[in-house]
Amino acid sequence: MKARAFDPGAHRLVICLGPGGVGKTTLSAAIALNAAIRGRSVDVMTVDPAPRLLDALGLEGEATQPRDVALAGLGARRGGRLRALKLDPKQTFDGLIELYAPSAAARDAILSNRIYQNLSNALAGVADYMAMERLLELHRDATTGVIVLDTPPAQEAIDFLDAPRRMLDLLGSRALSLLGASRGLLRGPLAMFDFAARAVLAAFDRLTGLHLLADVQAFVRGFEGMYGGFAERAAEAQALVRGEDSLVVVVTTAEAERVAQAREFVAALEELGFRVGAVAVNRVMAPIPGAAELERAEIPAALKRKLMRNLADFAALKRRESLSIEELRETLPLKTPLVIAPDLGREPRTLRDLAEIGGSLRYA
Amino acid sequence: MALPRLIFVTGKGGTGKSTVAAALATAISRRRPVTVADLERRRSVARIIGVDLNGAESAAVTDNLEIAALTPRAELEAFIEGIVPLKAISSRMLRSRTFGYVSAALPGLEAFLMMERLRLMAGRAALEDRYAVIDAPATGGAIELLSVARGVKRIASRGTLNRLAGTLEEFLSDADRFGVILTVRPEGLALRETLDAAAELRGRLGVRCIAAVLNGVAEELFTDAEITKVRALGEPARLAARRREGAKNAARARRELEAADLEVVELPMLFSAALGREELATLADSFAAGTIMG
Repeated sequence: MKARAFDPGAHRLVICLGPGGVGKTTLSAAIALNAAIRGRSVDVMTVDPAPRLLDALGLEGEATQPRDVALAGLGARRGGRLRALKLDPKQTFDGLIELYAPSAAARDAILSNRIYQNLSNALAGVADYMAMERLLELHRDATTGVIVLDTPPAQEAIDFLDAPRRMLDLLGSRALSLLGASRGLLRGPLAMFDFAARAVLAAFDRLTGLHLLADVQAFVRGFEGMYGGFAERAAEAQALVRGEDSLVVVVTTAEAERVAQAREFVAALEELGFRVGAVAVNRVMAPIPGAAELERAEIPAALKRKLMRNLADFAALKRRESLSIEELRETLPLKTPLVIAPDLGREPRTLRDLAEIGGSLRYA
Repeated sequence: MALPRLIFVTGKGGTGKSTVAAALATAISRRRPVTVADLERRRSVARIIGVDLNGAESAAVTDNLEIAALTPRAELEAFIEGIVPLKAISSRMLRSRTFGYVSAALPGLEAFLMMERLRLMAGRAALEDRYAVIDAPATGGAIELLSVARGVKRIASRGTLNRLAGTLEEFLSDADRFGVILTVRPEGLALRETLDAAAELRGRLGVRCIAAVLNGVAEELFTDAEITKVRALGEPARLAARRREGAKNAARARRELEAADLEVVELPMLFSAALGREELATLADSFAAGTIMG
């Protein structure tokens, strides 16, 4: 019996989440390409793809706007189209400031602020938040049928999905605005929290002579006029991601360590009220044949022994992998399907490789 | 031992950083006391060694092996407790949004405090004649972390912070106290990234690269002629070719790493149905057999 094919391209939005190094970008690209070959109009946004994948998708250089991927020779159905782009968090954030700043002076004040410059590079969550922002832009494009979203590597599942809320919490909270206010304005229990933050910054200023408090004040004032626009978009992104049309795919490999992480991801997502559409186990080996046929082959005995040994070695790896997948299946919530993505036995580096992976995704 | 007091294990995602850190710590623990610490929230090292920290900051695995979890948040908390003037502000309050504001207003502060913590760990390790192995973030994040002293010096051209950053830089470039191990997979085509990372670590940051660890090297079984001879055998032939390919990749990776003046440690591919303590001990043997431990 052949297992049922996994075709997430039937959804409007597919989000691939997972820790670093499991092949999220590859799998996102494979899913997107497969949907395009089946005749859909697809956008795939990648985060930090490996150089070879960049080549395959034609994303060399500053490909921060969607670029058409040539599907010639892949047997794509009519109407099938794939566009790919790379996420540039800093550029996206700058674009947002451009969009929402009430005046050119306000815009320049933010863009040149020391806090902003560091915030947009370093603060964890900026890349996540900006990925959400780009997602909204893609979503508004009526010609796009399916959006496949690769996400920044995450330690915890919540990192990406919760990014807009955390960022807004930070930018828009009354407390942060009060950081710049005079002490007389601080009243009530909330004031104590603000006071703590303020005290830390003031102490830090004294200690270092950096005068950061002034920069924080300027930064907070600069954001005041823009908060509404940010909040609106964040709410929109949240609704989109949680919508019926969206599919969250947790990507993992079969290594015991990754499986444990994937399980934690799924549990955390369920707790947050997200529906996990599938857990995809990437790079799963093909079944290893028995030795019977090899036994009968007419080759020198020494060579045959080595082939036997090699077969046994790979069989052991396959057994370890199967145990790991079995354990994952047993510990996943019943309604969460498990999907298997094949190992090609080589690093995927061409569109054809991606098409092969995308076309062979199967429910386990 | 020829190792620095603190060994920082990094590499591209999926190259087995945590396994390598656990194996190295196991090897060191046969001779000296060692702490292996998780720098992120992954708790991977603990899982691989088979210990549940259960929220604790550290736990003893054996007499000589301790496992610890370091979080930027805990470091920031300690820092804030140190400088907030009012004890009346309870730690519960400190655990509130204040952290978000402070870390947003002072990006890099968490990284800076974390590096300070590593510096102190290395200092203590030297005093107590022990070692620390750090399961660090993936290469990009790790280089960002190690660059933080530079960044701080740029914004604080003098004063206390500048001095602290200077001390940190001295620590990072002190080959007796600090060194990096880069993990690589032989089949991965990410060799270029590893070589670039090594160049950046040594060049721009002046950091000692102890070794590149080729993780998952399968014992060589076949010659090219043998692969050609069995080509008609279907799946067994394909798997033999794959093994041959793996061996070639590993040899090529070793050559290129050595050409870049990196010591290479090969960890064997373990063809076993599980990866437990026994397998970890086997990997530790490979470290013990090499030259990097002196």
